[in-house]
Amino acid sequence: MARIQAEHLSVTFRAPVREAGLRAALGSLVRRRYRAVEAVRDVSFELQPGELVGFIGPNGAGKSTMLKVLAGVLHPTAGSASVLGFTPWQRDQRFLRQIALVRGSRPLAVPPELTVLDALRFQQLIYAVPEQQFRRNLAELVELLSLDPLLERQARGLSLGEKMRAGLAWSLIYRPAVLFLDEPTIGLDVGVVTVIRRFIADYCRQTGATVLLTSHAMADVEQLCRRVILIDHGRLVFDGKLAVLSERLAPHKLVSLTLAGVPAANLASFGEVVEHDGALVRLSVPRGDVAALTARLLAALPITDLTVAEPALEQVIGTAYGGRARESLPSKE
Amino acid sequence: MSRSLHILRAYITHYLLAWLASRSFAFTLVANQAVTPLIGLAVWSTALPGANLSSYYLALLVTRLVTVSYEQHTFSGRIYSGELIDDLLRPHPAMLATLGQNLALRAWHVLIGLPAIVAVLLLSQASFALPDVLLAVPALVGAAALQFLFTYTLALSAFWTERAHGVVGIGGTLVFLLGGEAVPAPLLPDAIRPLGVALPFRAMHGFPAEIAAGLLAPDAMLVGYGWQLLWLAVFAIGAALVWRGGVRRFMAVGG
Repeated sequence: MARIQAEHLSVTFRAPVREAGLRAALGSLVRRRYRAVEAVRDVSFELQPGELVGFIGPNGAGKSTMLKVLAGVLHPTAGSASVLGFTPWQRDQRFLRQIALVRGSRPLAVPPELTVLDALRFQQLIYAVPEQQFRRNLAELVELLSLDPLLERQARGLSLGEKMRAGLAWSLIYRPAVLFLDEPTIGLDVGVVTVIRRFIADYCRQTGATVLLTSHAMADVEQLCRRVILIDHGRLVFDGKLAVLSERLAPHKLVSLTLAGVPAANLASFGEVVEHDGALVRLSVPRGDVAALTARLLAALPITDLTVAEPALEQVIGTAYGGRARESLPSKE
Repeated sequence: MSRSLHILRAYITHYLLAWLASRSFAFTLVANQAVTPLIGLAVWSTALPGANLSSYYLALLVTRLVTVSYEQHTFSGRIYSGELIDDLLRPHPAMLATLGQNLALRAWHVLIGLPAIVAVLLLSQASFALPDVLLAVPALVGAAALQFLFTYTLALSAFWTERAHGVVGIGGTLVFLLGGEAVPAPLLPDAIRPLGVALPFRAMHGFPAEIAAGLLAPDAMLVGYGWQLLWLAVFAIGAALVWRGGVRRFMAVGG
């Protein structure tokens, strides 16, 4: 049985609009205008237990809205969903005890004067975590997230990275079975991002939790997720393996050459020259032609080094966000 | 049920500590609450010197501090800012955090207001009979519950309007005019006294004060308790229904 199931979910809300200026502002007191915003349109997908899936899309695509619907915070306008066998927006306490929604914009939603340990103890009470289990979970989280120096510090004095680490511990102290991670690495430095990614991967492996992760940092998705769901303008555009998405959106690979001397042949005859900087040349080559082309290059040019690489995921996804994806992708793989 | 009480107690403790950090602001809140009964005491003592309403207005001061409710600030703001998400994610009734903060604030109001209460007791002609005070205690508890439910229900208007503060403000004005502060219910004109007795506003403020001051005959007291219980049921059901309708509309979209 799928752990998370969304069927034809739609979320439409009314946003007040008015023109600029005092006259329009006064007029809006009498007659208010609204615009219907379709944040999520007819989205369906399933996650099996233990899956860690990337949920990606441009700004305003509906990712965070979707996570909030599945976490039970928002009611959809249409469609149905099931998480752990519960309808999320009915907010059954048995459901709420098994899920966590971690928001990068607000990772530690506690009053600022509480210490980190205060906050964790409060979670213990709210989620009825037995003392022995609490101590065990705390010990693991302290080690995985290097929390020891933070436990006695007040939330108000923590840096963003420290808040994120404390926030992850705060959200996971009760071992939820389903995690909704909304931009967990936003605004964090490289060191902390590495810690967070490693922690998420370790947590999923150890507990078998099911995770739906949104992130604009494609490295997060690349390192953590085999499967991605791409959403754009509220619609599901792609659901499948990340490698397949890359192949479909970027049918080329990058061949990088380091030349020993001036090439006799015209480089453009081998493929699209993406970069030519002195001895360094980068060609964009159709995937199916890479092997044959490599042999031709080695035979025709004075090459000291040759590498074949996938185009940067950021670039690939950027193409998708640019609108090509809707035309070029089947929605499910 | 006992788990909810445990959680409520934790929220009360937490907010008691949180308001310790804002105690100077709490002083101004208490002063604001104390002003109206003290002005009423001064005005009616001058207007009707033989009526001896000192006991009534002192009891009203205590009632105000015990029933104070600021849900338009503590709760509506959370709807507007999207912070209600934090309450919705927790496995307990979302109202518990708001109720915990309300009770903690009331405790601070009574603590800070105690010197003023003692001062008025010593300086005025207020006097109380113990039986009257004991009879007023259930009414005071009922008034505290009713004021919370009333303010909370009005604060829920934040799901529909950006003017929840105004909505609650209107409710506050009605409580002031018809709740026994501007005019004690026994002094209302004959034509509107029955309405003043029946409406929920007196049950929130004036009713416990009238009992404590010995202004109510037993049969009038019973009628008053009847109205208070009725309004408690109305606002408890009303709050639940408004919450259910409002949370469906909650739209904290975006990251």
